[in-house]
Amino acid sequence: MSFDFQLETTDGVQQLTLIGRLDSATFIALEKTIGSLFASANDRVLIDFSALSYISSAGLRLILVAAKRARQVGGRLILCGLTPSVREVFEISGFLKIMETEQNRELARKALMATPVSI
Amino acid sequence: MNSIDPRSGEKELLLDYSMPSQVVMFGALAVNVEDAIADRPDLAFSTNLCLEELITNTIQYGLQNAPDHLIQIRISRTPDWLEIVLKDDAPAFNPFEIAPHPDLDASIEERSVGGLGVHLVRTLMDDAWASYDGTGNLITLKKTLKQ
Repeated sequence: MSFDFQLETTDGVQQLTLIGRLDSATFIALEKTIGSLFASANDRVLIDFSALSYISSAGLRLILVAAKRARQVGGRLILCGLTPSVREVFEISGFLKIMETEQNRELARKALMATPVSI
Repeated sequence: MNSIDPRSGEKELLLDYSMPSQVVMFGALAVNVEDAIADRPDLAFSTNLCLEELITNTIQYGLQNAPDHLIQIRISRTPDWLEIVLKDDAPAFNPFEIAPHPDLDASIEERSVGGLGVHLVRTLMDDAWASYDGTGNLITLKKTLKQ
Protein backbone atom coordinates (compact mmCIF):
# COMPACT_ATOMS: atom_id res chain seq x y z
CA MET A 1 0.00 0.00 0.00
CA SER A 2 1.38 3.43 -0.85
CA PHE A 3 0.51 6.89 0.38
CA ASP A 4 -2.01 9.54 -0.62
CA PHE A 5 -3.57 12.62 0.96
CA GLN A 6 -6.48 14.99 0.50
CA LEU A 7 -6.68 18.64 1.50
CA GLU A 8 -10.02 20.44 1.62
CA THR A 9 -11.18 23.62 3.29
CA THR A 10 -14.64 23.74 4.89
CA ASP A 11 -15.96 26.65 7.01
CA GLY A 12 -12.48 28.12 7.23
CA VAL A 13 -10.95 24.89 8.55
CA GLN A 14 -8.29 23.15 6.46
CA GLN A 15 -8.72 19.39 6.68
CA LEU A 16 -5.78 17.24 5.71
CA THR A 17 -6.58 13.54 5.41
CA LEU A 18 -3.63 11.13 5.35
CA ILE A 19 -4.11 7.74 3.67
CA GLY A 20 -1.88 4.63 3.66
CA ARG A 21 1.81 4.51 4.59
CA LEU A 22 3.78 7.62 5.52
CA ASP A 23 7.39 6.42 5.43
CA SER A 24 10.87 7.54 4.43
CA ALA A 25 9.99 7.10 0.74
CA THR A 26 6.46 8.56 0.67
CA PHE A 27 6.86 11.58 2.99
CA ILE A 28 8.29 13.62 0.09
CA ALA A 29 4.82 13.75 -1.51
CA LEU A 30 3.49 15.57 1.57
CA GLU A 31 6.40 17.90 2.35
CA LYS A 32 5.28 20.89 0.27
CA THR A 33 1.68 20.74 1.49
CA ILE A 34 2.82 20.62 5.14
CA GLY A 35 4.97 23.70 4.53
CA SER A 36 2.04 25.71 3.16
CA LEU A 37 -0.61 24.95 5.81
CA PHE A 38 0.19 27.84 8.13
CA ALA A 39 0.64 31.41 6.91
CA SER A 40 -1.30 33.51 9.43
CA ALA A 41 -2.74 33.45 12.94
CA ASN A 42 -6.18 32.69 11.52
CA ASP A 43 -5.10 29.39 10.03
CA ARG A 44 -6.90 26.45 11.57
CA VAL A 45 -5.91 22.97 10.48
CA LEU A 46 -6.90 19.45 11.36
CA ILE A 47 -4.91 16.41 10.27
CA ASP A 48 -7.01 13.25 10.12
CA PHE A 49 -5.00 10.05 10.72
CA SER A 50 -7.92 7.58 10.70
CA ALA A 51 -6.99 6.19 7.25
CA LEU A 52 -3.24 6.20 7.93
CA SER A 53 -2.05 2.64 8.55
CA TYR A 54 1.63 3.38 9.22
CA ILE A 55 3.95 6.25 10.13
CA SER A 56 7.71 6.31 10.78
CA SER A 57 10.05 9.04 12.00
CA ALA A 58 10.14 10.50 8.47
CA GLY A 59 6.41 11.22 8.77
CA LEU A 60 6.67 12.35 12.40
CA ARG A 61 9.23 14.93 11.28
CA LEU A 62 6.64 16.52 8.96
CA ILE A 63 3.99 16.62 11.70
CA LEU A 64 6.50 18.36 14.00
CA VAL A 65 7.27 20.86 11.23
CA ALA A 66 3.52 21.61 10.93
CA ALA A 67 3.21 22.04 14.71
CA LYS A 68 6.22 24.36 14.79
CA ARG A 69 4.77 26.46 11.96
CA ALA A 70 1.40 26.68 13.75
CA ARG A 71 3.14 27.90 16.89
CA GLN A 72 5.25 30.38 14.92
CA VAL A 73 2.31 32.11 13.20
CA GLY A 74 -0.13 31.70 16.10
CA GLY A 75 -2.44 29.32 14.22
CA ARG A 76 -4.02 26.17 15.61
CA LEU A 77 -3.38 22.53 14.69
CA ILE A 78 -5.38 19.54 15.91
CA LEU A 79 -4.50 15.91 15.13
CA CYS A 80 -7.41 13.47 15.09
CA GLY A 81 -8.34 9.85 14.41
CA LEU A 82 -5.02 8.35 15.54
CA THR A 83 -5.26 4.54 15.45
CA PRO A 84 -3.74 2.69 18.46
CA SER A 85 -0.43 1.82 16.75
CA VAL A 86 0.03 5.33 15.33
CA ARG A 87 -0.93 6.82 18.68
CA GLU A 88 1.74 4.71 20.43
CA VAL A 89 4.39 6.11 18.07
CA PHE A 90 3.25 9.67 18.89
CA GLU A 91 3.32 8.84 22.60
CA ILE A 92 6.86 7.39 22.49
CA SER A 93 8.01 10.45 20.53
CA GLY A 94 6.68 12.78 23.22
CA PHE A 95 4.39 14.48 20.70
CA LEU A 96 1.20 13.93 22.71
CA LYS A 97 2.63 16.30 25.34
CA ILE A 98 3.13 19.14 22.86
CA MET A 99 0.37 18.62 20.30
CA GLU A 100 -3.39 18.92 20.56
CA THR A 101 -5.41 15.79 19.67
CA GLU A 102 -9.07 14.90 19.37
CA GLN A 103 -10.66 11.50 19.01
CA ASN A 104 -12.24 12.12 15.62
CA ARG A 105 -12.65 14.66 12.82
CA GLU A 106 -16.00 16.01 14.07
CA LEU A 107 -14.61 16.88 17.51
CA ALA A 108 -11.52 18.44 15.92
CA ARG A 109 -13.69 20.52 13.56
CA LYS A 110 -15.87 21.71 16.42
CA ALA A 111 -12.85 22.72 18.49
CA LEU A 112 -11.26 24.57 15.58
CA MET A 113 -14.50 26.38 14.62
CA ALA A 114 -14.78 27.60 18.21
CA THR A 115 -11.33 29.24 17.91
CA PRO A 116 -11.75 33.04 17.91
CA VAL A 117 -10.63 34.68 14.66
CA SER A 118 -8.47 37.77 14.99
CA ILE A 119 -9.24 40.73 12.72
CA MET B 1 8.64 -21.32 4.78
CA ASN B 2 8.71 -22.12 8.47
CA SER B 3 11.70 -24.05 9.71
CA ILE B 4 12.96 -25.13 13.08
CA ASP B 5 16.48 -24.29 14.19
CA PRO B 6 17.64 -27.31 16.23
CA ARG B 7 20.19 -25.21 18.14
CA SER B 8 17.55 -23.02 19.76
CA GLY B 9 14.79 -25.38 20.70
CA GLU B 10 11.48 -24.13 19.39
CA LYS B 11 12.81 -21.19 17.38
CA GLU B 12 10.75 -20.78 14.24
CA LEU B 13 11.93 -18.79 11.23
CA LEU B 14 9.13 -16.48 10.10
CA LEU B 15 10.85 -14.47 7.37
CA ASP B 16 14.13 -14.57 5.46
CA TYR B 17 14.21 -11.61 3.08
CA SER B 18 16.71 -9.52 1.16
CA MET B 19 15.94 -5.91 0.40
CA PRO B 20 17.77 -3.60 -2.02
CA SER B 21 19.24 -0.53 -0.30
CA GLN B 22 16.46 1.78 -1.52
CA VAL B 23 13.83 3.48 0.64
CA VAL B 24 11.16 2.93 -2.03
CA MET B 25 11.31 -0.79 -1.14
CA PHE B 26 9.87 -0.38 2.40
CA GLY B 27 6.30 -0.88 1.15
CA ALA B 28 7.20 -4.30 -0.29
CA LEU B 29 9.10 -5.27 2.85
CA ALA B 30 6.11 -4.26 4.99
CA VAL B 31 3.75 -6.58 3.10
CA ASN B 32 6.13 -9.50 3.71
CA VAL B 33 6.46 -8.68 7.43
CA GLU B 34 2.68 -8.36 7.77
CA ASP B 35 2.23 -11.80 6.17
CA ALA B 36 4.95 -13.35 8.35
CA ILE B 37 3.40 -12.06 11.60
CA ALA B 38 -0.21 -12.13 10.44
CA ASP B 39 -1.56 -13.16 13.85
CA ARG B 40 -0.14 -10.02 15.54
CA PRO B 41 -0.74 -6.84 13.46
CA ASP B 42 0.53 -4.69 16.36
CA LEU B 43 3.81 -6.62 16.40
CA ALA B 44 4.09 -6.39 12.60
CA PHE B 45 3.67 -2.60 12.91
CA SER B 46 6.46 -2.31 15.52
CA THR B 47 8.70 -4.64 13.52
CA ASN B 48 8.21 -2.64 10.31
CA LEU B 49 8.88 0.60 12.14
CA CYS B 50 12.14 -0.66 13.67
CA LEU B 51 13.28 -2.17 10.37
CA GLU B 52 12.59 1.06 8.50
CA GLU B 53 14.36 3.27 11.04
CA LEU B 54 17.48 1.10 11.13
CA ILE B 55 17.63 0.38 7.38
CA THR B 56 17.11 4.08 6.56
CA ASN B 57 20.12 4.85 8.79
CA THR B 58 22.16 2.15 7.05
CA ILE B 59 21.21 3.42 3.59
CA GLN B 60 21.86 7.10 4.39
CA TYR B 61 24.87 6.97 6.69
CA GLY B 62 26.37 3.48 6.19
CA LEU B 63 25.98 3.22 2.41
CA GLN B 64 25.87 6.93 1.46
CA ASN B 65 22.64 6.21 -0.49
CA ALA B 66 24.25 3.66 -2.80
CA PRO B 67 21.22 1.80 -4.26
CA ASP B 68 22.92 -1.47 -5.27
CA HIS B 69 23.49 -3.16 -1.90
CA LEU B 70 21.37 -5.83 -0.26
CA ILE B 71 20.17 -5.82 3.32
CA GLN B 72 19.25 -9.20 4.78
CA ILE B 73 16.39 -9.49 7.24
CA ARG B 74 15.57 -12.56 9.32
CA ILE B 75 12.65 -12.67 11.71
CA SER B 76 12.17 -15.62 14.06
CA ARG B 77 10.06 -16.44 17.02
CA THR B 78 10.11 -18.65 20.07
CA PRO B 79 7.14 -18.87 22.44
CA ASP B 80 8.78 -16.10 24.50
CA TRP B 81 10.65 -13.88 22.03
CA LEU B 82 10.48 -12.23 18.65
CA GLU B 83 13.97 -11.87 17.20
CA ILE B 84 14.85 -9.60 14.28
CA VAL B 85 18.29 -9.80 12.68
CA LEU B 86 19.58 -7.32 10.09
CA LYS B 87 22.78 -7.74 8.11
CA ASP B 88 24.36 -5.24 5.74
CA ASP B 89 27.70 -4.93 3.92
CA ALA B 90 28.38 -1.33 4.95
CA PRO B 91 31.45 -0.08 6.84
CA ALA B 92 31.28 -0.43 10.62
CA PHE B 93 28.37 1.63 11.93
CA ASN B 94 26.64 1.32 15.29
CA PRO B 95 23.42 3.38 15.43
CA PHE B 96 22.96 2.67 19.14
CA GLU B 97 26.27 4.32 20.02
CA ILE B 98 25.97 7.46 17.89
CA ALA B 99 22.25 8.28 17.90
CA PRO B 100 21.30 11.23 20.11
CA HIS B 101 18.67 10.89 22.84
CA PRO B 102 15.84 13.27 21.91
CA ASP B 103 14.65 15.69 24.60
CA LEU B 104 11.07 14.46 25.05
CA ASP B 105 10.23 17.25 27.48
CA ALA B 106 11.23 20.10 25.18
CA SER B 107 8.61 22.58 23.98
CA ILE B 108 7.48 22.64 20.34
CA GLU B 109 9.88 25.49 19.62
CA GLU B 110 12.82 23.65 21.18
CA ARG B 111 12.18 20.15 19.85
CA SER B 112 14.70 19.26 17.18
CA VAL B 113 13.35 17.85 13.94
CA GLY B 114 14.73 14.33 13.65
CA GLY B 115 16.71 12.00 15.90
CA LEU B 116 13.61 9.96 16.72
CA GLY B 117 14.33 6.78 14.77
CA VAL B 118 16.73 5.02 17.14
CA HIS B 119 14.71 6.25 20.15
CA LEU B 120 11.65 4.47 18.70
CA VAL B 121 13.66 1.25 18.23
CA ARG B 122 15.07 1.39 21.78
CA THR B 123 11.58 1.93 23.21
CA LEU B 124 9.65 -0.60 21.12
CA MET B 125 12.19 -3.42 21.53
CA ASP B 126 13.43 -5.00 24.78
CA ASP B 127 16.96 -5.50 23.56
CA ALA B 128 18.92 -4.02 20.64
CA TRP B 129 22.59 -4.31 19.78
CA ALA B 130 24.91 -4.03 16.79
CA SER B 131 28.27 -5.58 15.94
CA TYR B 132 30.66 -5.53 13.00
CA ASP B 133 32.07 -8.85 11.76
CA GLY B 134 34.53 -7.61 9.14
CA THR B 135 32.09 -7.96 6.23
CA GLY B 136 29.20 -5.87 7.51
CA ASN B 137 27.04 -4.86 10.46
CA LEU B 138 24.80 -7.27 12.29
CA ILE B 139 21.94 -5.74 14.24
CA THR B 140 19.85 -7.91 16.55
CA LEU B 141 16.58 -6.84 18.13
CA LYS B 142 14.55 -8.80 20.64
CA LYS B 143 11.07 -8.24 21.89
CA THR B 144 9.38 -10.27 24.59
CA LEU B 145 6.06 -11.81 23.62
CA LYS B 146 4.99 -12.26 27.23
CA GLN B 147 2.22 -9.85 28.07
